[in-house]
Amino acid sequence: MSTANASRRVTARLRDWRRWPEEVTRAWRGSLRFRTVLLTLGLTALAVLAAFVFMALAIQNDLFQSRLEQVLGDAARTTQTAQATLDSAEVEGDAVAVDNLLVNVSTVARQAATDMTAALRTDTTSPLAPQGFTTGGLTEDLLSPGLRASVRDTGDLQWWQSSALPDGDGGTVPGIIVGQQLEVPEAGAYELYFGYDLADAAQTLSFVQVTLWIVGAALVMLIGGISWVVLRSVTSPIAEAAETSARLANGELGVRLQVRGDDELATLARSFNAMADSIESQIKDLADLSLVQQRFVSDVSHELRTPLTTIRLASDMLNDQREAFDPTTARAAELLHAQVQRFETLLTDLLEISRYDAGSVQLESEPTSMAQLAEDVIASMQQLADQHGTDVRLIAPGGYSPVEMDPRRVRRIVRNLLGNAIEHGEGRPIVVTVDSDQRAVALGVRDYGLGMTASDAERVFDRFWRADPSRRRTIGGTGLGLSIALGDARLHGGTLAVWSALGRGTHFVLTIPRQGTDFDGTSPIPADPGEDGAFDSLGLTQPIEIPQADRREKR
Amino acid sequence: MTSRILVVDDDTALAEMIGIVLRTEGFDTVFCADGAAAVDVWRAERPELVLLDLMLPGMDGIEICTRIRAESGVPIIMLTARTDTADVVRGLESGADDYIVKPFNPKELVARIRTRLRPAAQSSGDTLRIGDLSVDVAAHEVRRADEVISLTPLEFELLVALAAKPQQVFSREMLLEQVWGYHYKADTRLVNVHVQRLRAKVELDPDNPKIVTTVRGVGYRAGAVV
Repeated sequence: MSTANASRRVTARLRDWRRWPEEVTRAWRGSLRFRTVLLTLGLTALAVLAAFVFMALAIQNDLFQSRLEQVLGDAARTTQTAQATLDSAEVEGDAVAVDNLLVNVSTVARQAATDMTAALRTDTTSPLAPQGFTTGGLTEDLLSPGLRASVRDTGDLQWWQSSALPDGDGGTVPGIIVGQQLEVPEAGAYELYFGYDLADAAQTLSFVQVTLWIVGAALVMLIGGISWVVLRSVTSPIAEAAETSARLANGELGVRLQVRGDDELATLARSFNAMADSIESQIKDLADLSLVQQRFVSDVSHELRTPLTTIRLASDMLNDQREAFDPTTARAAELLHAQVQRFETLLTDLLEISRYDAGSVQLESEPTSMAQLAEDVIASMQQLADQHGTDVRLIAPGGYSPVEMDPRRVRRIVRNLLGNAIEHGEGRPIVVTVDSDQRAVALGVRDYGLGMTASDAERVFDRFWRADPSRRRTIGGTGLGLSIALGDARLHGGTLAVWSALGRGTHFVLTIPRQGTDFDGTSPIPADPGEDGAFDSLGLTQPIEIPQADRREKR
Repeated sequence: MTSRILVVDDDTALAEMIGIVLRTEGFDTVFCADGAAAVDVWRAERPELVLLDLMLPGMDGIEICTRIRAESGVPIIMLTARTDTADVVRGLESGADDYIVKPFNPKELVARIRTRLRPAAQSSGDTLRIGDLSVDVAAHEVRRADEVISLTPLEFELLVALAAKPQQVFSREMLLEQVWGYHYKADTRLVNVHVQRLRAKVELDPDNPKIVTTVRGVGYRAGAVV
């Protein structure tokens, strides 16, 4: 597997953003590492988020509390100083003196740690009481009625509220307003307010928060990266094991996993290798067995054939001279001759079948014209067809150009199909069709005989199966012919299909794929001929008539 | 003149039966059941044809075939129980002219033997030209310039068949019929193997044949006269 290729593929996938959800789903389902890392990232992010939010809140609270204590202390001190100044003053009904007192208060108030101060008259009824003052933009509307009521109603208690204060540039900053009553001689109660901004605290807080987020994000990435790396050390051996198993399954029995260290993965590798050893040895045993089987078949072949040859020669000689014998002996010689031939055919077919079973059959392919081959086979079987009074017609719209096939095997298949058709065709014409397309060449053999039921048609390729045991056999079939034909067709990578209907006859279609094409099993000749008129289009001039009166049930 | 046939087979029953068949047809027969002795028996008897079983004790048929071929072009027909590709091709490559698969019938056996024993086709008394070779049909002789090339009767017949009709492309089936006497579809490997053997003897460069040229998908034809 090439990394460059993989990365190119990934880039291509990234470009096609519409397919992202699909790709992610695929990765989620298909990659343990992707899934685990994503899960780890998600859970870590959640945990970090929770921890940092808690931390941020705690820090914020702490910062606020300390600032609050500081400002409350500052405000109390300043108010106390102002009150002391007021208490020590002697006014005695002089309005100017009272005014001066307030000026003094504002001077004192300037000593506070903020320049936002305000003194508001509580009792507006006293004629002597002068207007209050505000500095630093702490206007009356910044003060909540609740705060003012609290300050007004209680004598010398401090009250505070959080508020947004103007920052002098038209914006606002978070701040605290602290208020307390001030007793001005002759003028009654005033409310003294100080506004403290929390800009420093806010700045510290935002710095802390930014730091926390950066650290959090880095932490999440780090954990994701770590889990990716850690998982790679776990999943790479798994992926390697998967790839090795696939190669093993493909028949590379020699592949093994590398055993590193002594951990669980090493145990996996060792178990895998033990399994592969066991599989390899078992397959080798089976192969040896198959070899033994093949040798046995070959030996049996030789051992049986030599005596059979002697018997054959003897029976042929006896048969040739049977006129010289008395009728009984002559008949015996005839029977012997016929049965020896039957035995021989059976032996040949059995050996062929056992070769398929042992998998020791090889094709000897050469470019062959299917149409030509069909013509040859029909010519060679003309005599048999004549004996049955059967007319064999060849229709070949295609299939002339040579296709790679083993002509001996294909010829055997066609001979078999044609022999069956002649035997079961009830003397009606037989149509042999040859056609081809880009992917395959096909040959169909259609008889218009009795046909079979669908369940019988399913079994025609079974060994030693006969459609109707009671029927007379005129061609010495062994019951293995169609099994061998099917084996031959499959050996070519092709198919042998059958269609049959009672009273309409049977249609066998042999399909052989052209080399180098991806044959999907569809034949240029459909097995089901449809309505019996389908052959008209192929240039059949004489209609094939099926005498209705002759239509009998088969059994 | 009765032809003498050497039957090399370790199965005495089969050998005897073959003997009966052949004698009925008027052939003279000699037997040898031991592979190791087969070549000596052949040297002593000088038969017109050898029927050779492939599987023999002592020395196997292919080895015997190779040794006889080294000394003579006598027709050899193999008897084999195995139709497996490798065995048949090995037998043909070692020099056998033809093979018969067990079990065979007497007519087939006799027909094969007669084809191999028939006198070479007397197409004309002329000398044929093929490539840079001259083929003297009557004298059964092939020459390149003054050098005589020795061919077995079968190889000679194959070459004459091609040379007699230089315009004709011969399919393997046509050659099987004309040279081997098969009138039905037979094993075209016979032709392939013997064309290879012939080329090995007559071609200057067997990988680039000029005498027996291949016509792809059809068969063979005689090379142009030089």
